[in-house]
Amino acid sequence: MKVNYLPKNRSRNPNSRRIVILVGIFILGAVAFPFLDGVIISIVSPVWKAENAVSRSLKKSFDLFGSQKALVEENASLREKILSLEAEAAALSGGRAEVEALLRLLGRKSAPSMVAAAVLTRPPQTPYDVIVIDAGANESIAIGSKVSLPEGPLVGLVSELFRESAKVQLFSADGQETNAVLERNNVPVILVGTGGGNFRMELPRETRVERGDRVLSLGLDSRHLATVGEISLKPTDSFKEVLAKSPTNIFALRFVFITP
Amino acid sequence: MSRYIIGSVLILTSILFLPYWVYVPVLFAGIVFFPFFWEGIFFSFLITALHGTGTGVLSLLTSPLTLAALVVLMILLPIKENLRNHV
Repeated sequence: MKVNYLPKNRSRNPNSRRIVILVGIFILGAVAFPFLDGVIISIVSPVWKAENAVSRSLKKSFDLFGSQKALVEENASLREKILSLEAEAAALSGGRAEVEALLRLLGRKSAPSMVAAAVLTRPPQTPYDVIVIDAGANESIAIGSKVSLPEGPLVGLVSELFRESAKVQLFSADGQETNAVLERNNVPVILVGTGGGNFRMELPRETRVERGDRVLSLGLDSRHLATVGEISLKPTDSFKEVLAKSPTNIFALRFVFITP
Repeated sequence: MSRYIIGSVLILTSILFLPYWVYVPVLFAGIVFFPFFWEGIFFSFLITALHGTGTGVLSLLTSPLTLAALVVLMILLPIKENLRNHV
């Protein structure tokens, strides 16, 4: 006699097991990665350093060939230098030297010692306006230390610290709010980062602001944070929206100074 | 299997050295093309750990990239199954 066996009970949805596995991996990863963060960065930092060195030397060796390309790159680097000098000139134009002399007379130190660091990764490699630098806790840097450009402008704060490296969140990171002052009329403003080195702020309709105005950081040694770009004002609005941009090209950052 | 390993190495290399507009599409291409690519979640966590800030448990659980990787993987499971059944 032929016997037909019924198939064993199977799960109605064969993918449910896989979905449970995926969710498990997701939760496990979320729990494990905060502890592995420092280890991962310390493993990858030497790779990034080597990559930076190799890309720089490759650039130099390619410069030997193709004079036209070399000229184009020289042009680009000179433009970058001009931008940097302009930023420096803008920083000095606010009477920084006078302020420092005055502070010295009052016994306040305005230029504390700084630590120089090379930038290992920068946007667009990082999608969140974060840079990784090659100085960390071993250089007596702390979370919240100010990070500035060699020319003076402030760019961000140290957000995560490892032994030999650190992550810096730029002020222009999306949603990052920074208290600042509009230099033209000393109006306090809140700069809101919108990513890619850009900012947005709202000002009362009556406040006078023009393209090219500087936005400075708070504190004794006010530093350049952003430069006003577009200004939009609708006839019905009581506030005007001001767009500003970082005084430097954050996509080409190479060195920064950290104030421990 | 070798394609799987080569793909994973490519994704890892792009995460380490290339801009985000390259490695994010490459990661999702891996998730779409490889069957049950659970490593996609691992790579999205790696991206957040390397290039993001605030790598606490909560911020990782709510990270848009990791959530997107998980959701895409879960959505693709039945779609891939149906595609295989009808070929």
